[in-house]
Amino acid sequence: MPDASINELFAILLARDFRPEDRTIMVGANMPMARAAATLASLTTHPDARVIVGLGVHGLGDGGDPPGVYPFLFDPRSMVGESLMWQGRIFDDVSRPDVFFFGGLQLDRRGNLNLFGIPDGDGGWKMRGPGSLALATMSTTCRGYYIVMPSHDPRTFVEKVALISALGDVEERARLKLPGGGIRLVLSPLGVFAVGDGGDLEVRSLHAGVRADDVRAATGWEIAIPDDVPTTEPPTAAELAVLRERVDVHGTLA
Amino acid sequence: MSPGRTSVVASLADAVGGIPDGATVGIGGAVTAGHPMALVRALARRGPRELTLVVPVAGIEVDILVAAGCVARVIGSYVGAEKVAAVGPVFRRAVQEGSVEVVDLDEAHVVAGLRAAGQGLPFLPWRGGVGTSYPQLNPALVEFDDPVRGERLLAVPALELDVALLYSEVSDAYGNAQPVGTAHMDALLGAAAARVVLQVDRVVSTDEIRRRPEATLFWRETAVVRAPFGTHPYSNAWLTADEEHLRAFVAAGRAGGEELSGYMTTHVDGPADHDAYLEAVGIRRIASLLI
Repeated sequence: MPDASINELFAILLARDFRPEDRTIMVGANMPMARAAATLASLTTHPDARVIVGLGVHGLGDGGDPPGVYPFLFDPRSMVGESLMWQGRIFDDVSRPDVFFFGGLQLDRRGNLNLFGIPDGDGGWKMRGPGSLALATMSTTCRGYYIVMPSHDPRTFVEKVALISALGDVEERARLKLPGGGIRLVLSPLGVFAVGDGGDLEVRSLHAGVRADDVRAATGWEIAIPDDVPTTEPPTAAELAVLRERVDVHGTLA
Repeated sequence: MSPGRTSVVASLADAVGGIPDGATVGIGGAVTAGHPMALVRALARRGPRELTLVVPVAGIEVDILVAAGCVARVIGSYVGAEKVAAVGPVFRRAVQEGSVEVVDLDEAHVVAGLRAAGQGLPFLPWRGGVGTSYPQLNPALVEFDDPVRGERLLAVPALELDVALLYSEVSDAYGNAQPVGTAHMDALLGAAAARVVLQVDRVVSTDEIRRRPEATLFWRETAVVRAPFGTHPYSNAWLTADEEHLRAFVAAGRAGGEELSGYMTTHVDGPADHDAYLEAVGIRRIASLLI
């Protein structure tokens, strides 16, 4: 079996981290690795989980031809499942979802995420992003969220984000009494990260072949890396088999 | 004896003809599905100026109207083309050049603002966004301490629309829409608008509507425009999104200049009507997208 692609690795790492009490796993737009993770979990460790796919379907059944990882989003063929995500009503029940996933343009030391863009300091935009979708709301209320950063360099992992789409800073979250559980993990092509005791993001593991110095060079702040930092446990043959044969049948993550 | 019910079916040109310069226009659909693209192209052809667009989760309909010079301001939570382009290319350039203003809202703020407008309220409260940059980016979002439990909240002002451009697979001639699927935020956009222009693929008999009354959406003032395959290049219940077309548009949008004006000439300004647009796309392409 060929080695896992980075998106396959992301999917498997996410699926491994879901908690027993996670009942509703919601995936936003254009995050096929998160869709795959949710589907993979529902087929293996989380048979009772509902998977809500943003603007698409939820309730992915037995995954025989899982609609959650179709290569192109919102294909009407994906509109099958136990029910639909009603965009105008989804925010009426903030006790769900339990879990959500974000990407971002910039992530900072405190776990704050920016998807707005980079302002020019004069009321305009040096670099305009797509907009922040429902990041503010989901990060405020869901039990926990995962951040998947497709690139890891000093422009994306910064000391301080230019703007905050999702407030990760645990001290600020506590001060403002935000009800949700905040960041669970951050995944990048280099490793796995989580919020440490002081509220800064720390390295939890490095992916195979990545050295601590690679992460230091690619990170815009002095990131804490323990001397005995573990290597990310690689996907097992069994995990990859389920992912490829039953979840990502169209090879979207390859 | 009843004089008979009054049809609200209108031509494409008539339906968008009354949208003046400076109007606030909501556009339905989400990302790559269910945008009323025939209405958007007709509006771009007519060319009103200084529009404010309210677009919950938008696609290239924003880019097309920006390219046509119609847009002063975009209010919404996202403008992009999903995996084809992280950010709408024409939108991005115009915002970075400063010719179009963007007013950021969380997706749930859009829901709250449209609901407030539909309910005749000045605002609705929301928690998500407290502690973020939203109030700084969009001063219309006011942080306040709620008078009941003293919690820090955001006041999301009503998003009152002059007109909402919406899509439904079918309706009858009287504006009873039966979209397939969730219809995204379309019900809310219609409720927030003084009037609705509804693009449909099929105008069916009211007897057909009566078979599934639970699926019907309707609004007070509605004009129905028949435009078969009119969501192209986006999807509806029978048509998948045209990824190749979207890629070509994004390439033209990024290039700007002659490439973008070439797209606009071929697909927006050039075709005299919706049928001519379909001819420009070609029957083979359309047929290949049918599910």
